[in-house]
Amino acid sequence: MNESVRAELRKELVDLLGESKVLWSKSDLLPYTKDTYRIRFEDDHRYFPDFAVLPETTQEVQGIVRIASRRKTPLIPKGGGSNRTGMLVPIYGGILVDTIKMKRVLEVNKPDLNVTVQPGITLKELDDHLKDYGLWLTQEQGSLKIATVGGAISTSGFSRLHQKYGAIANRVMSLEVVLADGSILRTGPKVLYTSTGYRLHQLFIAAEGTLGIITEATLRVEPLPETSDVVMAFYDDFWKANEAAQRLMASGVVFSGAEAYEGHGLDRLGAPEGKTSLIYVLLHGIRGEVEAEALFVKKLVEETGGFLARHDVAMTFLDVYTEQWCGARALTGFEDVITTYVPMERMREFYDKLWNVIAPKYGIEPLPGEKYSLDVGRYRMAGGRYKLPKGERAWERYQEAVREIAVLATSFGGSIQSCHGVGIQHRENIALEYSDVALDTMRNIKRLFDPDNIMNPGKKLPMKK
Amino acid sequence: MNSATKAMLETAEACAMCRCGCCKDQCPMYSEIIEESISPKGRNLLIRAVCSGVVEPDERAVRIAYSCLLCRRDEYDCTARLKNAEAAESFREYLVDKGVPTLKEHEALLKSLENYGNPWQESRAARKRWAREIKGRKAAPGRMRVLFYVGCTFALDRSLQETPKALAHLMELAHEDYGLLLEDEACCGSTAKRIGQRQIFERIRKENEAKIRNLGVKSVVTACAGCFKTLKQDYPGLTEDVEILHSTEYLSRLVQSGNLRFKDSKSIVTYHDPCHLGRYAEVYDAPRKILKAVPGLKLIEMRNSREKARCCGGGAGVKTAYPEISGKAALRRLMEAERTGAETIVTTCPFCVQTLRAAAEANSSKMRVVELSVFLAELAIPTPTGAAR
Repeated sequence: MNESVRAELRKELVDLLGESKVLWSKSDLLPYTKDTYRIRFEDDHRYFPDFAVLPETTQEVQGIVRIASRRKTPLIPKGGGSNRTGMLVPIYGGILVDTIKMKRVLEVNKPDLNVTVQPGITLKELDDHLKDYGLWLTQEQGSLKIATVGGAISTSGFSRLHQKYGAIANRVMSLEVVLADGSILRTGPKVLYTSTGYRLHQLFIAAEGTLGIITEATLRVEPLPETSDVVMAFYDDFWKANEAAQRLMASGVVFSGAEAYEGHGLDRLGAPEGKTSLIYVLLHGIRGEVEAEALFVKKLVEETGGFLARHDVAMTFLDVYTEQWCGARALTGFEDVITTYVPMERMREFYDKLWNVIAPKYGIEPLPGEKYSLDVGRYRMAGGRYKLPKGERAWERYQEAVREIAVLATSFGGSIQSCHGVGIQHRENIALEYSDVALDTMRNIKRLFDPDNIMNPGKKLPMKK
Repeated sequence: MNSATKAMLETAEACAMCRCGCCKDQCPMYSEIIEESISPKGRNLLIRAVCSGVVEPDERAVRIAYSCLLCRRDEYDCTARLKNAEAAESFREYLVDKGVPTLKEHEALLKSLENYGNPWQESRAARKRWAREIKGRKAAPGRMRVLFYVGCTFALDRSLQETPKALAHLMELAHEDYGLLLEDEACCGSTAKRIGQRQIFERIRKENEAKIRNLGVKSVVTACAGCFKTLKQDYPGLTEDVEILHSTEYLSRLVQSGNLRFKDSKSIVTYHDPCHLGRYAEVYDAPRKILKAVPGLKLIEMRNSREKARCCGGGAGVKTAYPEISGKAALRRLMEAERTGAETIVTTCPFCVQTLRAAAEANSSKMRVVELSVFLAELAIPTPTGAAR
């Protein structure tokens, strides 16, 4: 953007929002140069947006979009900013629309169990607010403290309590969205169950800000459970823990969520020698229900050769997780994470090929204790974390590894990403998962909503060959 | 590159590697301003960019550098436990060392430190005014075991002088032998250190260290959490042979030995952990033990207490440079205290008392904000000489 255009745009934005909500100094724009996606090290400071704006109302967002639409300036909508696939990187500059000041809770409808909020409220802030009404959103993802409602919807965020309560995608009832021409779309009535119009709100789930800017969301909430519990057990290896996970899923017991993984330093959690893996099962509900479920799960653990962990240690997976998780990426160095969906019967094959064929080929290494990790249940995720390759062509080899992992997951009928979206990282890879007709349909939808391609351009959809 | 700068860059690099932003959740500055750059993460990215020449240390960069309370609340939320506050303080030193003009709002503090030995533009003689009504004597070499180091804010802010009087009263009730520096006491240098003026701090430190050593005392007791943190952690030479105690630690010992007793109280109180006493020095139990030693008193914890306590907004030069934000942070903490149902907030730092009290007054809160020694002096009862020794 040349300087005179930039000056004009700045004036328009300041006239609309006031000085304090328009950021243009490099010091202020630094946090917007990238999200947590691994771009080339030398590109770390390459992509500055021209401006970041901090609207507080739908009307302000509408004003920003109208300015951008007139000038055909790219808009990058942002929530908490913890995305891992580059969907917030301003590759074409433009205006970064940071929704973090849009934090108001507009309505708590207790009888109908729903809440209407602005998009910038974090999942944690919303739960803090709902607690006073005896309600909760039920969405516990690792980035609970920073992930915003708008961001979680736009990436179809995960919740570790998905088995009982679903993920955010299942909780969206209605959205208000500012479209690329500045019009305000209300996707439908604030109801969960309707068989009338097209389910427009579903289009914005995982849309990564490419179709419009969410300015309001109505979400299904639940009464706070009377009690909660955790059953945790150690196993000889991951595959034994995985067997327990499969039994758990087949049993029909209503657990909230569960995770099986090969751990690192499990002795600190009281694991006997030789036990390398664990499973923890989260239970929420009324007292009698949770007690019965806990007994059932303990029996299942016994039957599958598990060693039951101490209850107080298990309970740390309830509170400490939500309070303290942040991924510890600062300690791991350059790493990336796999969050694929793999059909259960191909799980072992997937991991064997991942670590025995792909990893040595490209020089990626699993992080200690992060080789196997499975979120158990209907929204299961086969995960792992690895150190990026080093040395010559490191970045290229990393991209090739990402591609080959995507090929592996999709060849088994799975998905490249359960919850981190496409962004830049998988922009070309999603062609592995969708037919030409499906991709063209998506492009047509994009064109309909955003004919000038100003909404987060260069993300989500592959370039047309 | 000195070791502090090296550590600062390591923290900034590690943070840039992660960029999760968990630090924002309870950051008192971010909570009020809500801008990405005003957070430990934003500041770490700035440190990295300024030090590598990507961003000029212009006026805005300096504003961001000085928009941190150094409260360390974020470190609880950072799984990697990055020392963001330490990096922020080092960044200020880095900017000062590079000759970058810093905040105008801090100029008066520095001038006052130079001229009067305190940051509050009060004469040296004013420092002893609070002590007119007490029996405490002036410390002289080899004459006493304990030096009561009052600190600039308790000694010079008239609304806070009740604290040194109360602590002196408690020491006298417990028959403790202590001395005061009165007009010879000088600032511990905390203010200078927190705003990045390392050279000024070093001069102050050397002078104070010599003065205290010369007295030959075994312990230095202070009620100011800022002085305590500074003397204990930033005077490495002094702590080798002088024990630095916060008044809460000192009074807790007196309570434990039976030399300090209290009458019954029906008070319902909540305790606010000052950052310098809590997260910096991990003194969480001593004040609570003392409060629990008051018969009948009910102590209710705030939702965020101990290592999770939110900052009052008064630290690290923020109150001087950003009074409005500081006031908002204090109000947020006050509201948290109100939700406990307690009628009194007890705390142990002059800045916490100032900010929380101002927030209570400005918002017509019924909560009483009181420093611990003052609260205890109202309840303490005499003990026979040496009864429990």
